[in-house]
Amino acid sequence: MPEAEAIRLAQQGNAAAFERLYRLHNRRVYSLCLRMVGNTAGAEDLTQEAFLQLFRKIATFRGESAFSTWLHRLAVNVVLMKLRKKSGTETSLDELTEPDEESGGPRRDFGGPDLRLSGSIDRVHLQRAVEQLPPGYKAVFVLHDIQGYEHNEIAEIMDCSIGNSKSQLHKARMRLRELLHEATRDKAREDRKAASADSGGED
Amino acid sequence: MAPMTCKNFLNGLPLRTEGTSSRDAEAHIRNCPSCRNITEDLNAIHSAARSWGGEELEPPAHLWTSLRSQLEREGLIRDERDPQLEPSNSGWFGRWFAGLPRPALAGGYLVLLIAVAFGFSRPVNRQVNEARWLEGTQVSTSPLSAQLTAEQDSFASFNNSNPVVTASLNKNLAIVDNYIALCEKSVQEEPQNEVARDYLYEAYQQKADLLAQMTERGENNR
Repeated sequence: MPEAEAIRLAQQGNAAAFERLYRLHNRRVYSLCLRMVGNTAGAEDLTQEAFLQLFRKIATFRGESAFSTWLHRLAVNVVLMKLRKKSGTETSLDELTEPDEESGGPRRDFGGPDLRLSGSIDRVHLQRAVEQLPPGYKAVFVLHDIQGYEHNEIAEIMDCSIGNSKSQLHKARMRLRELLHEATRDKAREDRKAASADSGGED
Repeated sequence: MAPMTCKNFLNGLPLRTEGTSSRDAEAHIRNCPSCRNITEDLNAIHSAARSWGGEELEPPAHLWTSLRSQLEREGLIRDERDPQLEPSNSGWFGRWFAGLPRPALAGGYLVLLIAVAFGFSRPVNRQVNEARWLEGTQVSTSPLSAQLTAEQDSFASFNNSNPVVTASLNKNLAIVDNYIALCEKSVQEEPQNEVARDYLYEAYQQKADLLAQMTERGENNR
């Protein structure tokens, strides 16, 4: 069943059409949720919530935007809402970034670490660093760099300008760079401690 | 013309990471190890993220079962008899039975479902008030059960124009009834098991689909 036909039938309450739409998009939505929240239980809840909202509203879908964009916009909103609740505040998307950077342009990095990350970024470190990003940065980074969306699509999904999407992405990458450097330094410090403990034990 | 400063380079970095770069910026990177490091780090982060994003993950199978149950509870799935929708509106179970009599096919499928249902009905912690939960389950399923029984009774009133077909349909109905009984038993034994409850609803759905098929055949034979 083609997607357009499935949408038409789902708008009339057809069970097979609902399932078809779910099967077409569940992997992408689940992957997005998993990368945003970092755990499978949370990702399952959010995926279910996103599809529930989709099917509740499907009768209002008029095809002005691509169906997948509409669905991912719903999914991102569901995830951001969850992250807002988790942080205990009701905030706008802009406030989900780091407020001190909003007016000052890109973070200045003079005198920053001279360590280079190239070749040392493994999946686990990157995942941990992404989890520490503010929700707004995280959403744009996950959508663009991980899920492969273009800025015009992200602008539509997140209801922001293309320039805003580019700016948020750059700030997200710069913040990730800091976090990854911190992780590298922490590990080096622990290694030194362990080495000195070992040498002390041998004396 | 003065060479680009680090400040100017960093101000233009968001555009450059999108693939737009100027000759001045390229010259600056060649002569400035700090800005070169930043650029290479950002490229490395982008590459690592892209390789991570290449994998699309499959959500667990129970997610659809749970979602479908919720859609049914909210009345979003409607089993309308719109002739335009008929080819796909009969549902996956209905399509299996579209070419009745096919008792072997139905029987094999039900055996598979029963095996899965038993697989999910392993003992788990009994931390909920089972009697209260079971009461809730019975309240929510009993109207559906009564409606199905009424439909079954009305089917019995149709003329038995083809005894072979009628016997086959009744056999399928008996298989579905057995499956419902097993699911009800599972729910009674493990009232807190949501999967068992989902299977019970699924079983009722199967019976409804089968009765719909039988009713259609009965009407056609009149």
